[in-house]
Amino acid sequence: MLLELNNIYKWVQSGGQKIFLLKDINLKVEEGEFISIMGPSGSGKSTLLNIIGMLDVFNEGEYHFLEDSVHSLKEKHRSNLYKQYIGFVFQAYHLLDELTVYENLEMPLLYKKYSSAERKALVADMLDKFNIVGKQKLFPSQLSGGQQQLVGIARALISSPKLILADEPTGNLNSKQGEEIMEIFKELNKDGVTIIQVTHSEKNATYGSRTLNLLDGRKV
Amino acid sequence: MIKNYFKIAFRNLWNNKLFSLIKISSLAIGLSVSFVIGLMVYYDFSFDKFHPDKDHIYRITTEFVTPEGSFYNPGVSYPLGAGLQENATGITAVSSFLTTYPLHIKNTATDKTFKNPDFVIYADKEFFNVFTYKWLAGSKDTALDNPNQLVLSEKRAKKYFPNTAYTDIIGANMVYNDTIPVKISGVVANFTERTDIVFEEFISLRTARQSDMTSVVLSSNWNNTNSASQLFIRTDKNTRAADVRLALHKLADVHKDPNEVEFGNERKFYMQPLQEMHFDANYYTFDFDEETASKSVLISLGCIALFLLLLGSINFINLNTAQATQRAKEIGIRKTLGGSKKQLIYQFLGETFLLTVCAAIVSVALSFWLLKIFEEYIPVGLTSELFAEPIVITSIILLLILVTFLSGFYPALVLSHFKPIAVLKNQIVAANDKTSVRKYLTVFQFVIAQVFIIATLLVGKQISFLLQKDMGFKTEAIASFRAPWYTMTPEKQQRLLAKVEAIPEVSTISLAESPPASFSTSATNVSYFGNDVPVHTELQLLYGDKNYLELYGIELLAGRKQNNDNIKEYVINETYLRLLGFTNPEDAIGKMIKSDGEEHQIVGVIKDFNQRSLKTAIKPLAFMGAGGANRSFKTFHISFANVNGENLPVTTKKLESAWNEVYTDEPFELVFMDSVIKRFYSQERKTAVLLNWATGLAIVISCLGLLGLVVYTTERRTKEIGIRKVLGASLLELNVLLSKEFLSLVAIAFVLAAPIAYFGLDYWLQDFANKTKLSWWVFAISGIAMLLIALLIMGVRTYISSTRNPVKSLRTE
Repeated sequence: MLLELNNIYKWVQSGGQKIFLLKDINLKVEEGEFISIMGPSGSGKSTLLNIIGMLDVFNEGEYHFLEDSVHSLKEKHRSNLYKQYIGFVFQAYHLLDELTVYENLEMPLLYKKYSSAERKALVADMLDKFNIVGKQKLFPSQLSGGQQQLVGIARALISSPKLILADEPTGNLNSKQGEEIMEIFKELNKDGVTIIQVTHSEKNATYGSRTLNLLDGRKV
Repeated sequence: MIKNYFKIAFRNLWNNKLFSLIKISSLAIGLSVSFVIGLMVYYDFSFDKFHPDKDHIYRITTEFVTPEGSFYNPGVSYPLGAGLQENATGITAVSSFLTTYPLHIKNTATDKTFKNPDFVIYADKEFFNVFTYKWLAGSKDTALDNPNQLVLSEKRAKKYFPNTAYTDIIGANMVYNDTIPVKISGVVANFTERTDIVFEEFISLRTARQSDMTSVVLSSNWNNTNSASQLFIRTDKNTRAADVRLALHKLADVHKDPNEVEFGNERKFYMQPLQEMHFDANYYTFDFDEETASKSVLISLGCIALFLLLLGSINFINLNTAQATQRAKEIGIRKTLGGSKKQLIYQFLGETFLLTVCAAIVSVALSFWLLKIFEEYIPVGLTSELFAEPIVITSIILLLILVTFLSGFYPALVLSHFKPIAVLKNQIVAANDKTSVRKYLTVFQFVIAQVFIIATLLVGKQISFLLQKDMGFKTEAIASFRAPWYTMTPEKQQRLLAKVEAIPEVSTISLAESPPASFSTSATNVSYFGNDVPVHTELQLLYGDKNYLELYGIELLAGRKQNNDNIKEYVINETYLRLLGFTNPEDAIGKMIKSDGEEHQIVGVIKDFNQRSLKTAIKPLAFMGAGGANRSFKTFHISFANVNGENLPVTTKKLESAWNEVYTDEPFELVFMDSVIKRFYSQERKTAVLLNWATGLAIVISCLGLLGLVVYTTERRTKEIGIRKVLGASLLELNVLLSKEFLSLVAIAFVLAAPIAYFGLDYWLQDFANKTKLSWWVFAISGIAMLLIALLIMGVRTYISSTRNPVKSLRTE
């Protein structure tokens, strides 16, 4: 088992009233799964994804990731944990505009204290795998949306995480580019990477092995 | 990792060229000023640090405490040296020496003469017991034991005996002033480090007794203080300075002059630590070309440097926090990819350091330029070579690190606190915008700039007030020149007089000593016994012939001018008249004044005039003629007729050729009265120039910062401006809207700055006997000036952004 959520609640205080973003979420994810989270706007999809990614905190419940109990970890340990095991893919790509493709790919490795030779090898591998060797010296603004997302995925994968979290990865792309990206996710999943994606599209959800539907913060 | 940081830092700088330029240039201004001022401070504080036992070396000086205030003399009465040796314990060396200024020195062998050798003293071996020199030839113990011996410094030895080994110079003969033969008995190495002990030629002290070159030794007694007679001591390591002080106090008490006591005067001996010599304005150092360093000037300079540096750092903080939203996305991404808060803080500090280093490189170049501009304010020995000294380099690096922390830490803290999730959801702006801190800092900047503006205006006002105020005598179209004292004979005087009188542009000529106002004064103690209580006072004396008063346009109120050159007669000024208790000038005529046991008659009363700068009040004064003594006046005072800027050089030439016919060897030096008066205020004018610069730079930095903030705000509010324009706001309304926020900051700054400037300048003006008013309009003008500058900057920027097409800005949102 990769991770397990037990009775997760998250709320915000607004005018003396608790507004629940997530209510009693239970989820077990095994290694190698490909899960799609669906639901209308405001149903708590992204919040759930962020909690799984440890970018956000919850108010109640338990979260176990591998052997660690995330809810009782300190900030520093949490960040070590996700640094090591989780890769993020965003709808808006979130590449650093000031860095080239090569440097964007290299960045996560810098934070993980890889040696310079290792970094070179890993980045070269990734460029090769995603067929973007020719674009390594370009800046993000010089790439199309699909190419940028490709770089985004490559960056998420570079430190070989166990889990990829993707927040509407095809949201900003046209359907052809979107399809290509989903194919890549499928391939990755076959290679053993666990993927959790948030999506609006029924079609994209079908790439997954299992779908989780949310409405008003509850599982349906 | 570091490479990556620098890469992104550099690209960030490049992409925000305007902001980077503002940040770098304002820091560079602050840094270059700090470098230059830092060098000045370092220079002045590194004097005489190398002597062994430097903390046990003292110079003994004299302070005269009188009812009019204290007077200081760097010398002591000659017998004090011997007296101290007998009566005080724990002193390892007592060196009495005499400074002297020979006219020339001749190398007998080559017959070559060197004019005006400077830094010559009569000394004995005790001098070398106080100060440790390295002997290149000869020995400390015997070199100055006998009369007519001379020890040269390495530099002088090379000058007088080029290409000769030092040991070969020993025994060579030289002659001072054609009358004092000396034999060279030693050569010492010059001090290589900065020092005020600048002597180059040491004549054995016993020569002074035998020659007529100085009468200080022979005619010396306890009541005679000559600044040429210097005394240095070196105490034992275990001796307490207080004990020596007590011995000095006792000696001063035993040998006090009863005449002085009668006038309420007291002589005190002061122990001046060697380390203080460089800064003590009461007792100057031996190199008169250098102005005495002043700690208070250095402190105010330090404050200026600190303020400018702070202003630069504030721009940095303000612009960095303002730009935070732009960087927010990067921070969010870096955090999700595993960057910790600490790593991000390092990254931002690194960027700041990079900028600081850029600024430092610019400012080193700038400081070379500043050193050139401020040449006349900077001691001669202070050159840009000081930049190469290890201490200076270390301090610069430390300063850079300090500035980096000062200006980088707060923004780094703000930036690294962003929550990635909030950033990536674009929720950042409202919650984390630290506008208030930015406002405080901006107000602080403008307070400093405003205080500088007010100070500049008022100091300028005071100086022009001093220059324009009537001194009480004529100052225009009057000049004087001085015949050399050592070749002046009555015959030459008359010849020169006849020649000068023949020049048509000279209207009046007067033979006298000092002009009415000058740097040199002579004074005597006088008593008047006409009242119930005798009036003891100090009376300044001014000597001149009968033309003097007319030439300077000084009005005679009563009586007559002194008419007999064989009897001393006083023409007193109104201040002395009042002091004697008279209100009517006629009443004083014929009264007798006692001075040095002689009685002198008051024959006239003249109107008051200022004898010195207007900083000091008018003192009691008597004008008198040659006064019986066989005194021949050496200074020629002339007033010109019909001389203007065009024919002035011609007239000067005529005077000079007249001079050259009489004095072939001596240089001609014509001194104009108005330039003397300007020189009275050289200190104030220096202050003014420095203030002008400080003000200019402070305004530039603050305005750069303001520009940055205005650019940022208008850019952030482009959408708002667009909407307002679509809804029909006019250009003027938009300008008011955008400027209101900043103008209120300027106004607050003015309210804070005005009282600070008021009290500061009030304090500064206390040094002046004649002071200008702290007029309200000066404050008003400087406030308005600041406002206009701020408006100009905002106007330009706002105009550009508000003339943009509103549709465009709305569409991009």
